[in-house]
Amino acid sequence: MIAREERVPRRLRRVALPIGIILLAIVILVPLTSTDTAQQAGLPLLADKLWFRIATTVAMFVVMASAWNIIGGLTGYASFGNVAFFGIGAYTVGVLVSNRGWPFPLALLAAPLTATVFALIVGIPLLRLRGHYFAVATLGVGVAVGEVVNNLGPLGASTGLFLPIVRSDLLFFYMMLGAAAIAVLSTWFILRTRFGYGLLAIRENEEAAAVIGVNTTLYKVAAFCIAAALTGLAGGIFAQWNSFINQENVFAISDNVQMILMAVVGGAGTVLGPVAGAISLELIIQTLAGGGSAAVYSQIGLGVLLAVCVIFIPRGVIDFFGGQSRLSLRYLRQTLRETSA
Amino acid sequence: MSQFTQQVILGLLLGGVYVAVALGFSLVWGILNIVNLAHGALVILGSYITWDLFTRWHIDPFLSLPIDALALFVIGYALQRGVINRVIRAPLLFTFLLTFGINLIIVSLLLLIFTGDFRSVTPSYSGNGLHLGSVTIPYIRFAGLVVAFLLAGALWAILNRTRIGAAILAVGADRDAAQLVGIDLRHMYALTFGIGAAFAGVAGGIISTFQSITPTAGDPYTLQAFAVVILGGLGRVSATVAGGLTFGLIEILGQSAPGLGSGYANAIAFVVLVIVLVVRPRGLLGRLA
Repeated sequence: MIAREERVPRRLRRVALPIGIILLAIVILVPLTSTDTAQQAGLPLLADKLWFRIATTVAMFVVMASAWNIIGGLTGYASFGNVAFFGIGAYTVGVLVSNRGWPFPLALLAAPLTATVFALIVGIPLLRLRGHYFAVATLGVGVAVGEVVNNLGPLGASTGLFLPIVRSDLLFFYMMLGAAAIAVLSTWFILRTRFGYGLLAIRENEEAAAVIGVNTTLYKVAAFCIAAALTGLAGGIFAQWNSFINQENVFAISDNVQMILMAVVGGAGTVLGPVAGAISLELIIQTLAGGGSAAVYSQIGLGVLLAVCVIFIPRGVIDFFGGQSRLSLRYLRQTLRETSA
Repeated sequence: MSQFTQQVILGLLLGGVYVAVALGFSLVWGILNIVNLAHGALVILGSYITWDLFTRWHIDPFLSLPIDALALFVIGYALQRGVINRVIRAPLLFTFLLTFGINLIIVSLLLLIFTGDFRSVTPSYSGNGLHLGSVTIPYIRFAGLVVAFLLAGALWAILNRTRIGAAILAVGADRDAAQLVGIDLRHMYALTFGIGAAFAGVAGGIISTFQSITPTAGDPYTLQAFAVVILGGLGRVSATVAGGLTFGLIEILGQSAPGLGSGYANAIAFVVLVIVLVVRPRGLLGRLA
């Protein structure tokens, strides 16, 4: 991966910043038109049930892709087991709310905690591995945890867990949006600290990083735990939002692959890359998703898109914003030459 | 006691399937440094070819294995030459993602062509088995094990007794040096991937004889091939054989342990895998990196 600093030229910043603020304002304000007071005041309904479902899902993937980016993009450890943190967060809320009768907000606080403790336990041995080996070991952890949960009686086994239904699209949307903001701001903040520079150094050359005094084990485990906490938080919110969890919907390996895709297609190792990737890919998936053979075509489309992105724009779409590179035939030819046989 | 013997036999028979599946995967990983997430899809492609030949022209599944190999070799060669060669020097995550995309495309195309229905190949002898006291060995599974050993022998012979094999090993050892002595890298990459795909196709043909197949049935095999390679170690045919048989035994015996059941098959396998990775990253028989 190529080390690149995000430097936004002043001209672009003058345009991009206001646009970003306007978009954010729309996302925050549009849902408010669905409240009773707004409807009585005669405002048009700009956010229906489908809007909320898609927007909340997009926000959820922003959290997951950004969290993956901290361990996979910044530190260079491609984790295929992050979905385990999502599942553990979801099951923490599920068990505490439906079996122990905890109030949801209190249970939600526990979700990132259990995910972090789990990341600490598996992270210390696994982060000694590198490359393919780390990827597969984490994948194994993801599969194994899901299967164990699927067999444990107190966790509902294969039936899953049902939570008391809370009907509020608005609440869950804002919670997920808040989690997304926390994830993005954490990444932004990490990249401005000594810790962040240490992670980038590990990604570029771990031995060299150790030589210049980076405590590589501590840094890697810390990055893994932060990713786990964020992903666990998203899982906790999902559990109450969906009000039903089982192995299939919270330990899906395909979700893990999706978060990686989003981070990479958007631009791994950057703050806004995973956000751009999550929004664009999830919207494409939601648009293409339909019943019957349409779903098959959407899968083929996704596969082709993935192949094209990996081959031609390996630095992610975010590379074209910020004045670093321009999307041109020369750029495509150059990236192709850098990697092909 | 006889139940234990039966379990061991079933474990070895299952292990044979894993050996067949993992040989091509191990070759591609060891030589090209690509973890091919589309491997399972290539395996299932082989299964569908066998199924199609069996239902359409009543060709015996074991006779169609060479056809599987040939078809998959062509597909694999084209895939590597046309697509994967473009990212062969990119970081590993990119080949990971690219092969995942290819997997998605192949599985979806299979869904379009063959639909999601369960398909099975049922030759007249499929129910028969050898009975030794209370222990049973199904003929068809035993034949699968024999084919797996033949495949392992063939791969060993290709790599160690032919000029092409020497070139493939040279590419695996040092790409730049291989190029300096006049080896055409692009052709060799494609050839290696083609051979890997051919082995996957044969494995798929074997699988279709004892398991109902669907387009997504290959995905678990990718994971298992991975586990087998790590368990045995990368870079040797014998390591893949040892890894595959051990993995099959662990899976079958683990399920019969007290307190566990068939629901834990993957969990047991992967816990063992993670332990091996952490304690002995080279695998049981792997070479030093």
